[in-house]
Amino acid sequence: MTASALTTKLGPLTLANPVIMASGTFGYGIEYADIVDIAKIGAISVKGISLAPRMGNPPPRICETPAGMLNAIGLANVGYDVFVNEYMPQIRARGVTAIVNTYGTSTDDFSELARRFSDVPGVAALEVNISCPNVKAGGMHFGVAPGPAAEVTQAVRRATDLPVIIKLSPEATDLPGVARAVEDAGADMVSLINTIRGMSIDVVTRRPRLGVNMGGLSGPAIRPLAVRLVYQVAQAVKIPVIGMGGITCLRDVLEFLLAGAHAVQIGTASYANPGIAVEIIDELARYCAETGVVPGDLVGKVELNQ
Amino acid sequence: MKMQFLHTIITENRHEGPGYAQLRFRGDTPLAGLPGQFVMIRGDWGFHPTLPRAFSLVRAGAEGAVLVRDVGEGTHRLTQLQPGDALDVLGPLGNAFALPPKGVRPVLVAGGVGVAPLAFLAQQLHAAGRSFAFVYGARAAADLSLKDELAALGPLHCVTEDGSYGETGLVTAPLQRLLDDGTPSAVMACGPHPMLRAVTHLALAANAPVQVALEAPMACGLGTCKGCVVTAHDGVFHYVCSDGPVFDGEVIFGRAP
Ligand SMILES: Cc1cc2nc3c(=O)[nH]c(=O)nc-3n(C[C@H](O)[C@H](O)[C@H](O)COP(=O)(O)OP(=O)(O)OC[C@H]3O[C@@H](n4cnc5c(N)ncnc54)[C@H](O)[C@@H]3O)c2cc1C
Ligand SMILES: Cc1cc2nc3c(=O)[nH]c(=O)nc-3n(C[C@H](O)[C@H](O)[C@H](O)COP(=O)(O)O)c2cc1C
Ligand code: FES
Repeated sequence: MTASALTTKLGPLTLANPVIMASGTFGYGIEYADIVDIAKIGAISVKGISLAPRMGNPPPRICETPAGMLNAIGLANVGYDVFVNEYMPQIRARGVTAIVNTYGTSTDDFSELARRFSDVPGVAALEVNISCPNVKAGGMHFGVAPGPAAEVTQAVRRATDLPVIIKLSPEATDLPGVARAVEDAGADMVSLINTIRGMSIDVVTRRPRLGVNMGGLSGPAIRPLAVRLVYQVAQAVKIPVIGMGGITCLRDVLEFLLAGAHAVQIGTASYANPGIAVEIIDELARYCAETGVVPGDLVGKVELNQ
Repeated sequence: MKMQFLHTIITENRHEGPGYAQLRFRGDTPLAGLPGQFVMIRGDWGFHPTLPRAFSLVRAGAEGAVLVRDVGEGTHRLTQLQPGDALDVLGPLGNAFALPPKGVRPVLVAGGVGVAPLAFLAQQLHAAGRSFAFVYGARAAADLSLKDELAALGPLHCVTEDGSYGETGLVTAPLQRLLDDGTPSAVMACGPHPMLRAVTHLALAANAPVQVALEAPMACGLGTCKGCVVTAHDGVFHYVCSDGPVFDGEVIFGRAP
């Protein structure tokens, strides 16, 4: 079986394989060109881009926790202009399939970013981050209830013909409800989960270990939570679901596919091994060749206990 | 210098005093690297701890080396590694110390495990036949892990807080004497943040340029996670991995008020 067994159709978006780098954990991708075959990765979701550059939160911004980490980066990024003028040409030249992750503090910001990115060559899709827990304005506020989530989705949908992925927050009390609302508002796909808020306290200094006290938890620690939510959301919507949260190996990818994800993203694990996505893609190709299945055959095929 | 991700094997674990280990490792290709640059390393221990850890290079080449001080879970596991164990190494990362022009004496100031990048620098200066001065401070004699190999390279001023070896006190006293001896000097320092602030202020007061190597918690090591920020005296954020780890001391600490 050839690598084309891994070709993955996600609504209007076709990827060479179902493995994507998660936003914020792989920079703009090109930083890794010396050590990783970045063009081979299904897609790279770049660090969240806002209209204006953002400085981010005061330090410490990261701390390690059992089988994972907390981050409170605060969406530090170079902003739209620098990204498009300085990074996009390199991303295109390297043959990277780029998903642009966008962040705004208002519905207008999100639609303006969508409108502007529509004319930028080399953007495969937009991933609209309505689920960042680390910013005061915007962020997760849009993602925790169906109404605001649908409003942002609709505004973005009107502003662009690019494939639109809405990135969901595990903090919503009714995530399947939010997913249905963004589906109805015109989203082509949903991706989940973004980080969930956590806190870690230094018992000697009695102070939180992050500068802004709380941050988003990621890594293997959140995998069961993510698998559960991917399962529930996949049951609730017809559009493709992109699953993530603590993926470290082929087994974890298969688990998300069985839960209902059509593709997956890898974040925190790539700090331990920057080449992890490429290794998993090769393993997935071998798995498909040996078992005679393609990834699509596994999507949602979990067999529940009675 | 091209960054590599190497699956290396530990060739030696040298005990360098209580809680200190010098790990030497070898990959399929040599690891380039200059004094001040660092690597992100991880043993083969699954996903807890999840993140790799940052260490300054003590040497580079066919065999690389880092000096690890056991301060927590990750460093503890690293100090337990044995020859033959696997060690993943990402590097070289960050910038290096800039050598002062000929005629200006490098004054190297190390606090505790901050000795690592300066030991590499001392090796390099020694090999180039340049004279330099080295001030090495720690809490106690047992924390002066590399003092014997450093003493072989050039004049070494050891200081301990408890007086168990060398002069009693802080690195600032011998540094001040060196700055006052009339030789044009350039200071390069690595150690705890308060020490680096004091060293910067002394050096600037003597009109000596000063470079400091900083630390911050890191995840990626190459500028992508945006986690390793430090706040300079003027409130400006700097990324330790991609703007540093070596900075102009004045940029970070300013002049003494
Ligand atoms: C550029 C650079 C060079 C360094 N060089 C050396 C060296 O040569 N020798 C040496 O012994 N140590 C060095 N350190 C510090 C070393 O990385 C930390 O001591 C180590 O990460 C602590 O991990 P731990 O799991 O033992 O501690 P824990 O306290 O369990 O660590 C928890 C988390 O906090 C981070 N962390 C804790 N303390 C520090 C610190 N002081 N600096 C950065 N991150 C920290 C860890 O990376 C980890 O993610 C360097 C750090 C940096 C940034
Ligand atoms: C340091 C860091 C920065 C992140 N930045 C973003 C971001 O800018 N936009 C976004 O949508 N998600 C961001 N995320 C969330 C990840 O994309 C992902 O949803 C989450 O980490 C769960 O996956 P993982 O467990 O594989 O890391 C970030 C995560 C981390 C750890
Ligand atoms: S450690 Fe990730 S940006 Fe510096």
